Amino acid sequence: MLLVVLLGLACGVSFGFVLQRGRFCWVSAYRDVFVMRDTRLFVGTMIAIAVQSMGVYTLSSFGIIRIPPLPFTWLGAIVGGFVFGCGMILAGGCASGSWYRMGEGLLGSWISLFGFMVSAAAVKFGVLQPVYQWITTPKGNHPFLYQSLGVSPWVLVGLFTLLTLIAVRSHLRRPQVRVPSLPPRKQGIAHVLFEKRWHPFVTGAIVGGIAILAWPLSEVTGRIGGLGITTPSAHLLGFLVTGNTKMLDWGVFLVLGIAIGSFIAAKASGEFRWRIPPAKTALTNLGGGLLMGFGAALAGGCNIGNGLVNTSLFTWQGWVATPAIILGCWFVAYWQVIRPMRTSAALPIRVAAGEST
Amino acid sequence: MTKHLEVLGYVCPFPIVEAEKAMAQLTVDDELIVDFDCTQATESLPRWAVQNGHQVTAFEQTGEAQWRICLRKIK
Repeated sequence: MLLVVLLGLACGVSFGFVLQRGRFCWVSAYRDVFVMRDTRLFVGTMIAIAVQSMGVYTLSSFGIIRIPPLPFTWLGAIVGGFVFGCGMILAGGCASGSWYRMGEGLLGSWISLFGFMVSAAAVKFGVLQPVYQWITTPKGNHPFLYQSLGVSPWVLVGLFTLLTLIAVRSHLRRPQVRVPSLPPRKQGIAHVLFEKRWHPFVTGAIVGGIAILAWPLSEVTGRIGGLGITTPSAHLLGFLVTGNTKMLDWGVFLVLGIAIGSFIAAKASGEFRWRIPPAKTALTNLGGGLLMGFGAALAGGCNIGNGLVNTSLFTWQGWVATPAIILGCWFVAYWQVIRPMRTSAALPIRVAAGEST
Repeated sequence: MTKHLEVLGYVCPFPIVEAEKAMAQLTVDDELIVDFDCTQATESLPRWAVQNGHQVTAFEQTGEAQWRICLRKIK
């Protein structure tokens, strides 16, 4: 049990620390492609996937870890992914993002995580289980993309890594805009760890490294798998209300570690403060959290389980659920962000034309 | 004219959405001061400003998890 706690927390704390300092947020990554026409963070997530895919398939070829064949439940991946994507905008953070913002003192994220845990637990082992059974009944033929294509996994690992390198190169060759940063107050290692702006590509590579380490660290404790947020969050709630210690696995300490690691990073950087959202925002966060938990449980993973881990394994589940998550995210971003911005931009023109109401 | 925008408690992307709304109301050479507490906006707000051709005249941390950025509308 001590090993479970220590290894889970070690992985979680470093993950949370890196997410906070790197401002590594999947909502921003997906949303900004559409809203800001900015793909920097998105390419960062591609780097994380590419790094992890190389590491995980290397470890598995040496027999150090096992890669479980996940059934491809396509209806769950599409519907659940879309619902999760809608929820993450309303929640003000993805699954990992809510855990690390919790450590920054954002009470809105505490609220959304509460919703996330409740609905994920309801789908996984509660009152909504029949919905899960029904939606995951239709299954695809193969768990892995490379099985369907009849090639070695390394073909896809190689192709995706090449694609990522091309994207990175195209970004780095663009004329760089100089973005003003805060005047530095710290020096040396303290500046790098607790002040400096981390490039999303560097953060992405570190996230990929942590995602690789998660596999052996988790397998040592008997849990086969990599990083994951949804099932551990549901298990945490399940343990709290039932006292069933079987639920208290490596993953539970991973998610708790994310909040702790982010708290350490935020506190040391002068970025921690309890922040209370307005009532309307808090309600939106709660609704978003409920949608996220429901969707992620149906899809068999959130932005981490599907968006980072399943994609790197080249499972069908990951490669169908992730585009569904992105579409859901864009769908809500259009109503929540793009339309309000357009309306406001049009306002002065209407006033000038004397048509204001 | 100087407009003061306080978006404390707003999380990304809403500090930017509010800043964009406020900017749309201003004319060239007006100033916009934004007080915000979304950590992620320390990265995204100045980037948004530069990419949209606004000049960043000041950017500072004003307290624990609280920042102020001053922008001038150029075009």
